[in-house]
Amino acid sequence: MNKLLLMFCAVCLSLPLVVRAAPLPSDSVYRLPPLMLVDQQGQSFPLASLAGQPRLIGMFYGSCHMVCPLEIETVKKIQQQIARAGGKPMAVLLVSFDSQHDRLSDLRQLAREHQISAPLFQLTRVTEGDVGLLGGVLGISWRAQSDGSFVHNAVLTLLDDQGRILAHQDAQNPPEAVFIQTILAQQNGAR
Amino acid sequence: MAGSSYVALPGGRFVSALAGDRGQAQALKIAPFAMRVAPVTIAEFEQFLARNPYWARDRIPQLLASADYLKDWASPLRAGTALPPSAPVTQVSWFAARAYCASEDAHLPSWTQWEYAAAADVRRADARDDDARNQLILSATLQNTGHAPGPVGQDPANVYGLHNLAGLVWEWVDDYGAMFPRPDARDPGQGNSLALCGGSALAFHDRGQYALMMRVAVLSTLKPDDSTANLGFRCVRAIGE
Amino acid sequence: MKRSAMYASIFQAGLILALGVGAGPAVSATTSRASIEEPLFAPPLVPPAIHRDHAATVVIRLRAEEKEMTLADGVRYDFWTFNGTVPGPLMRVRQGDTVELHLSNDAHSHMAHNIDLHAVMGPGGGAAATVTPPGQESVFRFKAMLPGIYVYHCATAPVPMHIANGMYGMILVEPPEGLPKVDHEYYVMQGDFYTTGENHAPGLQSFDMQKLLAEQPTYVLFNGREGSLIGDGALHSKVGDSVRLFVGDGGPNLSSNFHIIGQIFDDVNIEGGSLINHNVQTTVIPPGGATMIKLTTQVPGTYLMVDHAITRAFMKGALGQLVVGGAAQPQLYQRVNAPAAHVEDMQMKANDPMSIGKRVFTQICSACHQGNGMGLPGAFPPLAMSDYLNSSPKRAIGIVLHGLHGKITVNNTGYESQMPVFGGQLSDEEIAGVLTYVLNSFGNQGGTVTAAEVKAERAKAVP
Repeated sequence: MNKLLLMFCAVCLSLPLVVRAAPLPSDSVYRLPPLMLVDQQGQSFPLASLAGQPRLIGMFYGSCHMVCPLEIETVKKIQQQIARAGGKPMAVLLVSFDSQHDRLSDLRQLAREHQISAPLFQLTRVTEGDVGLLGGVLGISWRAQSDGSFVHNAVLTLLDDQGRILAHQDAQNPPEAVFIQTILAQQNGAR
Repeated sequence: MAGSSYVALPGGRFVSALAGDRGQAQALKIAPFAMRVAPVTIAEFEQFLARNPYWARDRIPQLLASADYLKDWASPLRAGTALPPSAPVTQVSWFAARAYCASEDAHLPSWTQWEYAAAADVRRADARDDDARNQLILSATLQNTGHAPGPVGQDPANVYGLHNLAGLVWEWVDDYGAMFPRPDARDPGQGNSLALCGGSALAFHDRGQYALMMRVAVLSTLKPDDSTANLGFRCVRAIGE
Repeated sequence: MKRSAMYASIFQAGLILALGVGAGPAVSATTSRASIEEPLFAPPLVPPAIHRDHAATVVIRLRAEEKEMTLADGVRYDFWTFNGTVPGPLMRVRQGDTVELHLSNDAHSHMAHNIDLHAVMGPGGGAAATVTPPGQESVFRFKAMLPGIYVYHCATAPVPMHIANGMYGMILVEPPEGLPKVDHEYYVMQGDFYTTGENHAPGLQSFDMQKLLAEQPTYVLFNGREGSLIGDGALHSKVGDSVRLFVGDGGPNLSSNFHIIGQIFDDVNIEGGSLINHNVQTTVIPPGGATMIKLTTQVPGTYLMVDHAITRAFMKGALGQLVVGGAAQPQLYQRVNAPAAHVEDMQMKANDPMSIGKRVFTQICSACHQGNGMGLPGAFPPLAMSDYLNSSPKRAIGIVLHGLHGKITVNNTGYESQMPVFGGQLSDEEIAGVLTYVLNSFGNQGGTVTAAEVKAERAKAVP
């Protein structure tokens, strides 16, 4: 618990002063039981430390060969459409639900393959806490098959700067106009 | 009878009543595991809340439970005299059930583990071909209509020593949301073939398992923050945990 | 604008205001007109005819409720219902209306429920939009595009079970000009029920899956309960009144062959559609189908409504009553006394023992012993050349009077049938006559039996 506190303080100090002193709203994802993540660069941090800016959040697993690459492509398409509309690049967090098999090296490998880099686009795995809980909250469910693959869905969720869920996008479909608009509105509101 | 005790199940080859992707029977290999003898009771959940007040209904984050969470309890931490302490705890969300299991170093069973455990009766590990037994389970389930669940452990244990896998309450499983993956797991109406007319005909290759179909039909309509008066849970542990 | 029209429109505006804003949650900012709360009634009653010249938004509130109720006398069953009745309430809207349907599911339900209305054009007939877990509520809207009488039912898996447990009802979409006026309107819905116990096994019965799969119901009932439309529950009319019946079949499996004994249907909407047939005796309603029947009751009395697959009516409960009051109509229907004995018989009726005996033998005995007295092998012993008879004609008097059961041997063959008692039915003269006739016919050895002998035998106490 002390380690967590220290980590949290360290992260807090390194963030711009956009972080509010007021407590997070009761429907914030950052109010959930603590989840410790590590990203493709080996950076360790609690999920709650991500409060402060709007973010896209989704889930994946490393040895996924169809849906997950599709999900990453959808994220890229979203970034392109936002850029075209004059918006800023979105911070993105993808969390693996296969902590058992997805090691740091797998995350690095994936990041290289898809040319994505932290801290803007983080591929993470859970080191402490219940990843199933995050899945439940984001509407993502998975079921392990005997061959180590998973049956699962893929949803990208837009969180506001306080961690409230604003909108969803099926990661297997082209970005919907409404979703893009909501992102842009969030960015405009935050300025 | 101590509901908090776990018994070991040997696992092995098991053919699920749920159809695979292409409608075929799925033969699965289940690793040995330990399962709670009975659903978690109201008294046990009270003890959990006393140690973990984060999950009390007045404190629990909105994302983790809807307004029905422990609705019939007299107060956030105490069920009150109207609810028998040895009855299974119901009106709990999937999130709360997970947290309880984590608190005893366990987790929710997968659907397959649950189905495998429930295939047994007092004499046999797999009694699913027995029409009379299937009808009994159906009758037991239906005759709970209008009644709150009674105490756990009142039925004879099956060959593994497990109680109440039929007829008392529905039970959460870990992967209920992924049994029929939908584009959006939060919207049961969208593309969930089981919730609609005829869906069960596609999803089950063994259509004699009516009580099982009912169980799956209910679970498939729920979101993880939902709870109902007839839905409880029990936990499992990997052997060696 | 004419003054009367102006007043009419002010009145209409006032009426709309008086009805108030829609009682449900604001589901659409574009609802500018006040919506109408649909009145719902328990079957066999129906909402009143619609008197409206424009489309409206109609709010209908249904509640899925799992409830133990009576299935038949001494028999209880766990029903799944809409609004606590089987069938659920009949809904009544006008073509062009937008229906806003609220489906709530009782918190203590075991199952999720939803609704598929056959009046809906859209995915699942509404099923997709209304999957409701226990304790929750769904709302959806549909436009009633076509007129007709339609079934609705729960469509949650396993569907046959939800329907078999009673989750069905009907919705009437009136054409814009309404339906022709009638004196009475009633709502009847047939369903088949599958219980683990046999028909009329007492106590709480459970749904039986094997019987459902075999499509062999233990009960076939109108409105979910044996006797629901009998006695106090009977439907009523009067001589000369017109009656409209909304009749449907929830199933899950059996069609209804709907007939009212003693009544002809003036108009039947074929398959519940717009085509009307006339002068129909029995109409077939498929499971998941419905019809409208118009009839005129002409003669007073109690009329039985049945499924004319008649075993279902008299052995499984598909029976109801339509009681018609009013003055007798002898010109239409009159009971006349039973006719006098046939003239020929009277003329030929001689009173001598052989003639009496021949008559009795032909009318009664030959049924079993056959016209030639040879009996039926394995069943009825012969009277012709019968050693049993000829060895003791006196014994035969007792047999005819008191009957006989047990094993006897006639002409070296054993018989173990039962001879009924005829002492109550035949006079001494008739018994004497038939025995004399038999003894002197069929190759028998002759003899006489007198009425006095029969009388004496009759006076003896039965052993």
